[in-house]
Amino acid sequence: MKTATLNKSDLGKCIDLLVQADLRVIAPRLQPRLDEDGPDAIDVLTFTEVDSGEGHQVGEGLLPLNGVKEFLFAKHEPLFAYEKRGKKIEIIPVHHEYPQTVIIGVRPCDAASIASLESVFSDANAGFEDPFFTERRSRTTFITYSCTAPDASCFCTSVNLSPDSAKGSDLHLTEIGDGRLHVEVISKAGEAVAKQLQDLLEGEGDQAAREKAGAEVSEKLTRIRDSAPIMDWLMDTANFDDEMWQRLGEKCIGCGACTFACPTCHCFDIVDENKGSKGYRVKFWDSCQFDHFTLHASGHNPRDWQYKRYRNRFNCKFKIYPEKFETPGCVGCGRCIRACPVNLDITEYMAEVAHKAANPSAMKADQDSE
Amino acid sequence: MIEEIRNQARQLLENGEVDVVIGYAEGSDPSRTTPIFVRKAEDVEKLIYDPRCINSLPIYLNKRHEYTRKGWKKSAIIGKGCDIRAIVQLIAENQLKRDEVYILGVPCEGVVSHPDKWDGSLHDGNRASKCTGCDVMTPHETDFFPGEKPEVDRSKPYEVTSPKVANLMELELDKRFAFWRTDFDRCFKCYACREVCPHCSCNVCITDETTPSWIDPAAHKKGIFSWHLTRAMHLVGRCTGCGECTRACPMDIQVDLFNQRMKEVVQESYSYKPGYSLEDKHPLITYKVDDREDFIK
Repeated sequence: MKTATLNKSDLGKCIDLLVQADLRVIAPRLQPRLDEDGPDAIDVLTFTEVDSGEGHQVGEGLLPLNGVKEFLFAKHEPLFAYEKRGKKIEIIPVHHEYPQTVIIGVRPCDAASIASLESVFSDANAGFEDPFFTERRSRTTFITYSCTAPDASCFCTSVNLSPDSAKGSDLHLTEIGDGRLHVEVISKAGEAVAKQLQDLLEGEGDQAAREKAGAEVSEKLTRIRDSAPIMDWLMDTANFDDEMWQRLGEKCIGCGACTFACPTCHCFDIVDENKGSKGYRVKFWDSCQFDHFTLHASGHNPRDWQYKRYRNRFNCKFKIYPEKFETPGCVGCGRCIRACPVNLDITEYMAEVAHKAANPSAMKADQDSE
Repeated sequence: MIEEIRNQARQLLENGEVDVVIGYAEGSDPSRTTPIFVRKAEDVEKLIYDPRCINSLPIYLNKRHEYTRKGWKKSAIIGKGCDIRAIVQLIAENQLKRDEVYILGVPCEGVVSHPDKWDGSLHDGNRASKCTGCDVMTPHETDFFPGEKPEVDRSKPYEVTSPKVANLMELELDKRFAFWRTDFDRCFKCYACREVCPHCSCNVCITDETTPSWIDPAAHKKGIFSWHLTRAMHLVGRCTGCGECTRACPMDIQVDLFNQRMKEVVQESYSYKPGYSLEDKHPLITYKVDDREDFIK
């Protein structure tokens, strides 16, 4: 693997070079504020298309609110247009642009989520492919950046990742002190980007310093859970009706914030947006946390209480994903914890399951005594 | 203060006067608290109250969240003044009966605007702007209050407290529109703003209706604008200003700025503040002969 070093202060120049190479560049940026917005206003960091390196926040802040999901799996997109003419309906293709894109400053958890999305939208073995996703995916290069300051909601080490993981990356950057970055070329796409940046890259990287830096940051994580026993516990169908689901989940208010903020949640809905005799068939993000997500036309709803909807979300992350796709359903970014207005915490479920898996008889006795 | 609340909660549960006490407990990290449903007297020790208790708990009294109420005939709820305004408004709108709820009022010094801003104490840099000039720090409608309730003059008209509303109103119309276009670009329509709102009571929200579809469900500009403006309009004269819609937004869009401006309009037009009277109906569903009509041209 090729390595190099880069001055952190040259990141802005990197973006400029990529823009000059006619690439669409997405980078973390702070949203503009009005003056004196008062104590309610907070810094809003998002991945945004940029036209220069000015004001970039690559390596700053923790996680942009939006993650990279929306640049591969669009928040909404028309599938086709249609027009009724007499008794006939004409289907009119819609032109989509898929520009060559570089996303820079992607954190390891977000980079790891790409494989999870891929397993849903482009299953090579099953022969299934969502062309909107795969077209974008094939034209997108990820420059990732090891974390330096995880917060109280981060838990990537509990789901077999780490703050310096290069999984899903094309070109990986890690701070190694003195304002220097260790650069690793991971893929061919990464090599192509490295070529664009060659004037700024120097010599060889410092693998030892990179590993030391990564290990130091891992130490800073405070939210540590054992995810190993979760899948087996969930596979036991008796646990589907465990008392835990209602006890922990009854405060859930059914907003979709966790699913929309989640980098691996991928459910979508399709509607016809009609105007007179023509319109578009549109695909857009949906959420399993909505009460009408599983509502049948008969009026029956198999997930008729909110806690059952959250049970589904947890099962999706820790059973369905690994079982069906052999990719992780959760990358430990902590967005769902930060976003939840009622502090429903996925890691509390993880801890509870680990505890129950380790003490099956004790738990049974507890329930019986109640 | 919290000891008195806990004692009262314990008694209510022991005497079977209420089925549940809805309150706050420590959250999963030190800057957060979480809603808790206390059903056993011994669990009242988990109840806390401090400036981190930002949730508006009356959402759990809203009929729409009925799943939490299965088996709850009467609920006790810990309320700071702004939340009690929401309870009062729910009662005024016939969404709740006064005798279905037992209000444990707490003296409030203001709450933090966002958990990330909590640094161990409440100060001008992190106090939510809704707390400025608040006239219900000693709550108005309670069944229990720890200590004496001083007389408070609550006749002052509503005033917008977020400086951002004034900043926006000063902008030219096209610039104001540009601001919202940029901010709404982040919206992915998760509807957290709706779900945390104590006053969103419809069984089927207009945005979920499909025959016909009034609001495009997709998160494009049309779908986003029509959702947020409809939401704001549906709360005119009803919003009690808890600010939960903004706090809950995972993309940090300050959607309550619309509600604050609308509250100001309602104040100017009808001299009405929602959430203070159990009986008064809000001006948009009532008619009085002396209602303003100079805007009809």
